[in-house]
Amino acid sequence: MLFFFRKKAVTFFIYLHSNFSNKHNYIMKILKFFTKSAICFAVSTGFLSLSANAQKAVNLTDPEIASIAVTANQIDIDYAKIAEKKSKNAEVINFAQTMAKDHQSVIDQAVALVKKLGVTPQDNATSKSLKAGEAKTLKLLNSKSGKAFDKAYIDNEVGYHKAVIKEVETALIPDAKNAELKSLLQSVLPVLKSHLSHAEMVQKEVNK
Amino acid sequence: MKNKITELGIKVLLLFPILSLFSCHSSDQQNGESSHRTDTVVIQQMQFIPASITVKKGDSIVWINKGMVDHTVKDEKSNGFYSDTIHVGQSWKMVATDSADYDCSIHPTMKGRIVIK
Repeated sequence: MLFFFRKKAVTFFIYLHSNFSNKHNYIMKILKFFTKSAICFAVSTGFLSLSANAQKAVNLTDPEIASIAVTANQIDIDYAKIAEKKSKNAEVINFAQTMAKDHQSVIDQAVALVKKLGVTPQDNATSKSLKAGEAKTLKLLNSKSGKAFDKAYIDNEVGYHKAVIKEVETALIPDAKNAELKSLLQSVLPVLKSHLSHAEMVQKEVNK
Repeated sequence: MKNKITELGIKVLLLFPILSLFSCHSSDQQNGESSHRTDTVVIQQMQFIPASITVKKGDSIVWINKGMVDHTVKDEKSNGFYSDTIHVGQSWKMVATDSADYDCSIHPTMKGRIVIK
């Protein structure tokens, strides 16, 4: 990364001695580079905080797991609602509609189970970190439009689903004490994996 | 007394072929029904199980959604069969007439196949 910035600095020095047309093209390239870097940084910080929690030493309790499950699903519904409003791409809209419906279905089943078990979802470091990541991502998504929005949304969906799958596999399922809660989480995993494949499919189309 | 027994015997003899005819007809119907069976595809863990099903032309296939989310069954050919939404816990039945590749229109990575033998 540092090497890349140094290379950019050298190229910038050459630019000072070039003609106007070259200068204009170069400014556009620099702007694109910093925009891409900003997106990568914003998206990765949200996911890194989630994966850092996945590597924690303390085991999660069932009320904490319930809170993480509901929060993670609600966040993807929030992203989907923005995409349904802002995107003009049929595949992106279709994907967003699927996310909104599927994650709502998972929330409904999770809420029904915790009610049956008498568990009250409890806020914790992971659910707080998820919400903090969501705030950053929502800000980023709201600042984009057109194809740039589609790309930012679907890139985020790919990264977000990868991070959530890792969290479910390495923390939520192993830590769940109640058999029905564990079973619900195990059933959610194929749904998340299918969403990831679908998102990657849409990502290829958006990047064409 | 002897005449009554003879009369009863004649009645039984006359009724027998008629009853036989009825029973043959019923048997044909049963044979007709049993020649077209119903097979099941379970939708679970974001998969059609089995992914490929081989049936005879005219057999029925029923898809049962035992998953966590809604699904559909849609012929990949345009103007083919389409189930509309199969909600969680519900099912959809169709008579198979042709071999077809199908998918779930909500989750396009889910694919299945019908093979007519």
